[in-house]
This record gives sequence, structure tokens and C-alpha cells, in this order.
Amino acid sequence: MTTIQVAGLHVRHRKTVALDSLDVDFGRGVHGLLGPNGAGKTSLIRVLATVAAPTGGRVRMLGEDLADPRARTEVRRRLGYLPQEFGYYPGFTVREFVAYMAWLKEMPAAATPAAVERAVERVGLADRIDARIRTLSGGMVRRVGIAQAIVNDPAVLLLDEPTAGLDPEQRVEFRELLRELGAGATVLVSTHLVEDVAAACTEVTLIADGRLAYRGTPDALSALGAAADGVGDHPIERGYTAALRAHREVAVR
Amino acid sequence: MTGTVLYARSRALPQTVLALAATALLAVWAAHALDSYLDPERRVPVVALAPLLAAAAIGASLYSASDELDRTAVRPWWHRRLAHLLCLTALAAALLPLAVLSSAQTFGPPAMVRNVLGCTGLTAGAAVLLGARLSWLPVFCYVSAMYMGISGVRGTALPAWAWLLEPGTGSGAWATAVLLFALGGGAYMVKGARGTP
Repeated sequence: MTTIQVAGLHVRHRKTVALDSLDVDFGRGVHGLLGPNGAGKTSLIRVLATVAAPTGGRVRMLGEDLADPRARTEVRRRLGYLPQEFGYYPGFTVREFVAYMAWLKEMPAAATPAAVERAVERVGLADRIDARIRTLSGGMVRRVGIAQAIVNDPAVLLLDEPTAGLDPEQRVEFRELLRELGAGATVLVSTHLVEDVAAACTEVTLIADGRLAYRGTPDALSALGAAADGVGDHPIERGYTAALRAHREVAVR
Repeated sequence: MTGTVLYARSRALPQTVLALAATALLAVWAAHALDSYLDPERRVPVVALAPLLAAAAIGASLYSASDELDRTAVRPWWHRRLAHLLCLTALAAALLPLAVLSSAQTFGPPAMVRNVLGCTGLTAGAAVLLGARLSWLPVFCYVSAMYMGISGVRGTALPAWAWLLEPGTGSGAWATAVLLFALGGGAYMVKGARGTP
């Protein structure tokens, strides 16, 4: 079932076109969003997160049109978002920060304490729940960001570079959490780490120059690398570079 | 802990209230040190600079560390922003006139309240355009320019744009200050402070 429908999406930052008539759909599962720097991944995620308005095109999410302010508010209740840099209040504890974000999402007050503890436990920070965020390591702060994104059990979860700063063990645990979340929600993960995509995602979307460059499963992308002249140490890295080159060749013609 | 308390802490409201109280104490001390009870004209630095400090403190409180996440909030922001600005402005307008109580006519409490409104309005508007961290800058430039350059300037429109240094309760200066507060405060209420890294 499709939960996100993007049609003719156009995003412009002053003179730069970030997304150029993008058409793409996402359903339940974990979707890896790949692409080079400046490809338009973050622009897409920010539009889906209702943080930025597109300059053209339409987005429907969870059956609602995001151009409608009332519908946008309803979608936000069922949305989780981790930006690349989320910003936090250094004097807040982990519990306070996640509870504050739950309050902003108008979660019922009676359910919030348990939801906060569950979200923090899911990211492996239960033993640091009453620690001030400023005392945590970079990886732990990132996990606080993930906790606030999942506190409302979102139907759509948008994660922009979620594994930046996590050590290898934490990344493995995070992939497990992604698979768990993807069983009941639409999870969109923007990342440069293709091995995370290979391990945790059910589908891959490659964006380049603001356009859709490739869509398929991680296995199909790996197979593309074996068949074409991709560069990389891992099959999916070779698939990634092969798909990107093929897209550029078409764009040049 | 309730969401409202967490909101107050996220915007450093306890520290801002302390800063406003400290500004009021400083203004009382300065008015006394300048012997302003002998000549109301000596209150000019107090009536000009204390609202500047108060507005800067209020402007700093408009900063949000998690601006990107705030934008995904379900709760509407406008009434929280409005209450935030009105409460702090009311507190500054109640505390600062204590420094200039001895005369109501020349640089007295009405002039202090007017300047609090004007300076806070300018700061709130600057927070929308420049971000909360730089919101003090335009009002600082305005107060500095008025304070240092006003003596040689003449003109019928002077009370309207040099409202800060109008001694009495003239309507032109009040109209400008109230207009600034309405425009700056209204813009902040609708848009919020511009996000800054």
C-alpha cells in the first residue's frame, strides 16, 4: 500500500534546482535514499517532513494532501523526523528532550512517560535516560535524535543521515531497529552508507541532480554492479556507481 | 514535568527573567548615581539604555536550538510566541519604570514604558529577519545613533522617528513605539525567529 505519493515535485533554492519534477511513491518498509552530495535527498526529506514547502508539484502522505494546512497538521501527528542536525537543549536530560518533542506532537499526557521510556529503550539509552544531553557522546546524541523521532510510533519515519557518528556495533543495532520499524511503518533513510542500505532496506531509491536515477531492491542494485562497470569494494557500491553513471550518460544525451 | 515548563526552559525563560530583574536593578542604581532627581534630563542614558538591555535579553530568549524539529510540531506556535513576548515585555515594562519614578513628565515611567515597547518590537522584528542571536543588533544601532547623533538634528517629524529620546508623553513618539511593537511582535507571532545554525 502506498503511503507517500510524490508527483512532479519541484524544489528550488534561490537559483539552484534541488528537485526537478520528481515522481516517486513509497509504501510500507525501509527505503534507502541514496545519491551524491547535493543530489536533492535532504530537500526531499524536508518537504516530506513538512518543514519546507515545494515550489511545485504535489505530495500526498497517509491519504492527505500536504498543501492543505489542516491535513499537514494531522500528518504531523503520525510523522517522525530526524534531521541531519537536529539541535538540542544542552540543559535537558534525554527524558526531558524526548518528552518535550512528544508534547510538541500533542501526544496524550498520560501516555507520554511510558512512550518516552520505550523510545529511549529502543535506541539503547535506557541507562542514560536521566543524563543531560550535553554529557553524552556524539553517537549517543544521535540516538537521542532517533528516540524523539520514534516516540509517537510514527506511520512515516524520515531519517536524514541517522547513522552518522554511530560506531559499527551501534550501526548494526540500528539496522535491527530499522527492520523492526519497517515492519509496521514507511521508513525513509537518507544515507551515504550503502552497506546500511544493503543490510536493512527493502528498497533503494537513487536520486541524482534532483531526479530519480534508479529504483529497485538492494539485491537488484548489487546485481547491476556485477553486470556493469561499477566501481567499489562491495557489490552494492559497484551497483551504486554503475546506476549513477548510467543516469549521467542518459542526462548528457 | 509539563510541556509548558519544558518550553520555558527550552527558551531560557528563567534566565531571561533574572536578566530583566538585573537590568532593573542596574537602572535604579544608575538613576541614583546620576543624581537624576536633581535634573530629569540626566535620566536620558537610563531611559535609553535600560530598554535596550531588556530588549536584547528578550530577543535572546526567542532562540530555539531545535528550530528544524519545532517546525514539525502539531501544536500551533502563534499563541505560545504571543504569550512569550507579551509576558516578558509586560515584566520589563513593570520593572524598569521603578528607576525613574520621581517625575512622570520628563523621562519618567511613561517614557520608559514607551521605549520598552519600541525596543522590544524592533528586536522581535529583527529576530524574524536576522535570527534571534542577532536580534539585538538593529536596536543597538538605532539606540547608538539616536543617543550620539540626535543633538544636531531638527525637524517636525523628529518625535516620530527619534521616539526613544522624546522627553514627555507626546503622541508621535508613542504612536511610533506602539507601531513598532505591533509590527515586530506580529511578525514574530506569525513567522517565529529565523533559524540560525
